[in-house]
Amino acid sequence: MSERITKEKQAEAQRLLEAAPATHLPAVSPRLLPEVPALTPEVNKQTPAVGQRVSRVDIRSHVTGATRYIDDLSFPGMLHCRILRSAHAHAKILSIDVGEARKMPGVVATLTGDEIPVNSFGSTYQDQPVLAADRVRYRGDGIVAIAAETEQQALEALAAVKVEYEPLPAVFDPLQAMEPDAPKIHRNSNVYTSKVIMRGDVEKGFEQSDRIFERRYTTQMIEHVPLEPFASIALWEPDGQLHLYSSNGRITLGRADLARTLGLPMNRIRLTATIIGGNFGGKNEIRTEPILALLAGKTGRPVKAVFTREEEFIASTTRHPLVMDYKTGVTSDGRLLARSVNLVLDGGAYASWSETTVGKASILAAGPYRIPNVRVEGHAVYTNKTVTGAMRGFGAPQVAFAYESQMDEIAHSLGMDPLEIRLLNGFEEGSASHTGQLLQAVALKDTLLMAAKRSGWMEGGR
Amino acid sequence: MKRPGRGIACMWYPIGFTVAANPSSAVVKVNEDGTATLLTGTVEVGQGSLTVLGQIAAQELGISADDVHVVSADTDTTPMDTGAIASRTTFVTGNAVRLAAAEAKSILFEVASEMLGVETEELEAADHKIRSKTFPDKQVALAEVAVRAQIVRGRPPLGSASFNPPTVAMDPETGQGKPFATYVYATQIAEVEVDDETGEVEVLRICAAHDSGTTINPALAEGQIEGGIAMGIGMALEEEILFDAEGGQVNPNLTNYLIPTSLDMPKIEVDIVQSYDPVGPFGAKGVGEPTLVPTMPAILNAIYDAVGVRIADLPATAEKILMAIKEKERAEVKQLGSA
Amino acid sequence: MHHIEVTINGVLRRAEVPPETTLLSALRDSWGLTGSKLGCDVGDCGACTVLVDGLSVNACLLLAVQADGREVVTIEGLSGFEYLHPLQAAFERLSSYQCGFCAPGMIISAKALLDENPAPTELEIREALAGNLCRCTGYTKVVDAITEVCRDHANAVGVEESA
Repeated sequence: MSERITKEKQAEAQRLLEAAPATHLPAVSPRLLPEVPALTPEVNKQTPAVGQRVSRVDIRSHVTGATRYIDDLSFPGMLHCRILRSAHAHAKILSIDVGEARKMPGVVATLTGDEIPVNSFGSTYQDQPVLAADRVRYRGDGIVAIAAETEQQALEALAAVKVEYEPLPAVFDPLQAMEPDAPKIHRNSNVYTSKVIMRGDVEKGFEQSDRIFERRYTTQMIEHVPLEPFASIALWEPDGQLHLYSSNGRITLGRADLARTLGLPMNRIRLTATIIGGNFGGKNEIRTEPILALLAGKTGRPVKAVFTREEEFIASTTRHPLVMDYKTGVTSDGRLLARSVNLVLDGGAYASWSETTVGKASILAAGPYRIPNVRVEGHAVYTNKTVTGAMRGFGAPQVAFAYESQMDEIAHSLGMDPLEIRLLNGFEEGSASHTGQLLQAVALKDTLLMAAKRSGWMEGGR
Repeated sequence: MKRPGRGIACMWYPIGFTVAANPSSAVVKVNEDGTATLLTGTVEVGQGSLTVLGQIAAQELGISADDVHVVSADTDTTPMDTGAIASRTTFVTGNAVRLAAAEAKSILFEVASEMLGVETEELEAADHKIRSKTFPDKQVALAEVAVRAQIVRGRPPLGSASFNPPTVAMDPETGQGKPFATYVYATQIAEVEVDDETGEVEVLRICAAHDSGTTINPALAEGQIEGGIAMGIGMALEEEILFDAEGGQVNPNLTNYLIPTSLDMPKIEVDIVQSYDPVGPFGAKGVGEPTLVPTMPAILNAIYDAVGVRIADLPATAEKILMAIKEKERAEVKQLGSA
Repeated sequence: MHHIEVTINGVLRRAEVPPETTLLSALRDSWGLTGSKLGCDVGDCGACTVLVDGLSVNACLLLAVQADGREVVTIEGLSGFEYLHPLQAAFERLSSYQCGFCAPGMIISAKALLDENPAPTELEIREALAGNLCRCTGYTKVVDAITEVCRDHANAVGVEESA
């Protein structure tokens, strides 16, 4: 039997080959192919293992299209969920009416925030509702979730939901949000997390400096753009365990958040993430999981939700925009004596990973340089914009843009080579960081010299 | 006219969470044929951690990377892990994996010690065998020891361990402390061409030298660096979420929010600088996030070198650059006039 | 509902679909071919790229009824249990992909290029991939792998001709 199939396959491949030009690489052709690794991994290959260019364990399934991401899974009777998002950046919710939506074709269940046992989550402060119940703080806040037989039916039913709002004054600029009379988004102050790093006496350092350089740097809001939009499926196993399949990069802590929002013990929740189609920090929190769990409980059927590309932009987190004021004092021969930095992070509507981001940005803000006098102050501020959270680098890319732009300006202004000023001031083995940490395995100057050599920097490049 | 420029930027970046506990656990089981199974609660998001963690377990057990099967991303079967975040997986989870494999190995050593008549301290695991360090001919196959551990000794050769990076809390007033166990360093040099009539920037070449401690898998490290540079180019030159006056996003789609395509990418030359971290597994640190950190300033400094303008507000779009060039020209004319 | 018949990877398949069904959702939902991915649903990202009568198209932009009677090749059609397409083998050798979500579409685009032009320049390779977004790799090892396949192919053809 198998032999017959193989012969048929070969004959088919032969036919395709003959029909195609000689250079054509056909879709189905075992014959002309070069030698290819066996489909089961060869065990007992070389040791040691560390330092080897070992192939990725998942590369075979990636190139054959066999990798199963969450949206590639489906279960019998599975429903599809879509979420209605806020029409306002800041408003009170006066009423939510899902009566008409429930009557729409294919609709099986709806869910609102007041039905969620503990309707809040967040990695540091639990200030974000799973579904907004009484107030919306940005346009991405979800309000009503609908589970229907098809995604299209769920989408159409969203239009039948009636939400009555009382708009509130909103603030979009983080500096304006710090003003005393700015609209308050959560509490008495919109500044919700701060960090200070102090070493030496920065004012004295400026006095001793020959030259002072000052500039404000700003950066933009950025989306992670993982190619796989966030996806999640909830189902209740026959033994009463809640099983969530989710593109969540932190399953252990995701399970803890689920246990908290749903009021379930951890061992009654199983979170499976399969392989995730890109994270970059945007898939490090729960999003739709508690909603799907409750809808699956209500309906007794598996429920899936996949973010549209638009939801990936408006309802996931983004990179913090920063306003960064840098002031640096140097000697005329290019030694850094003092640097003061003031950072304001646009935190968006909820805290998410802002505390971590303020911390990393502040600790790293003065750059990898030996500076006797440093003062850094960082603040994260609520605005009525898309939530900013974890994204590749946690504030480091923003401050590096500032400190390295200023280093370049200082070098040019003093007539020094930009490489030279970095080698003169850069951290070395045993240098103390700006938090007083003695550094080890410091390869900064090795990287400077290696990149310079590779690019032909000393020869003038170009 | 297209004007060439080059710019340099370096950076430092920490591994793991800022002081806050971020432990990882791991379980390593040695099977009866000398292969191993690794259970980890981390998640593969493209960064290659399953491959790297398998290599670490293999190295500790003296077997090859392909001999380790990695089970991940399932809270029912895998132990606690803080997750795929903060460039921590190789360093933190990697240490847990190394320690778990070492524990399984110590059980095998006890059994092998009796089999070979060699003290456990005198044994090493290499090339799928357990052997005497001094007399390598005194050896026994790992598989044989694994079977014997179960049957004769009644001790399954499995190990479990947890690792949390060592830090010291920061003083709330001054921020002094040891917030991270270790840092990585990197330098990138960008070569660009800026059209001084349109403000358009073409990035031609980026030389990237990155330190990640001992590199567990150079191919995957290069991949991370190349991908980080792509993200850095997007942040430097084009990406930005825009808002209308009501707080709604103007461009929440990939038609109007542009990320770099294959045509936007320069020639990338990667050098991996080796260092050895005394705490990291086999001296390794990490590579994920820092890869894009120096890219923006390297490009922006190259733009200054090319056309003499500093853009301090990202992204450096063609419009912003052109406006800055015009402003600079006006200022120069004015200066000439007043002189 | 519309009745459609499409030859997919050499096999004739049938389905009853509502008129608004895209080819992508027919492939994924009606026929269980989940290799083609949904990344944006509006033709921006290329994760759903398939060949229709030999031309690469975004399956999210084509209605299933438009594919009626045509030949479609998806990522699932490029390999079998015993072999990989040379492109797949090269991508595997270089670990060209990371999260892998863009891989199926990108591999199809690369195949469409090589079917037309077995000796493309690097610029032609980059142009052929410009509709396939990737956020992980910077495209570097993808372009390298395609270049390798072209070189190997040129060598093989050279050997054949000289023989």
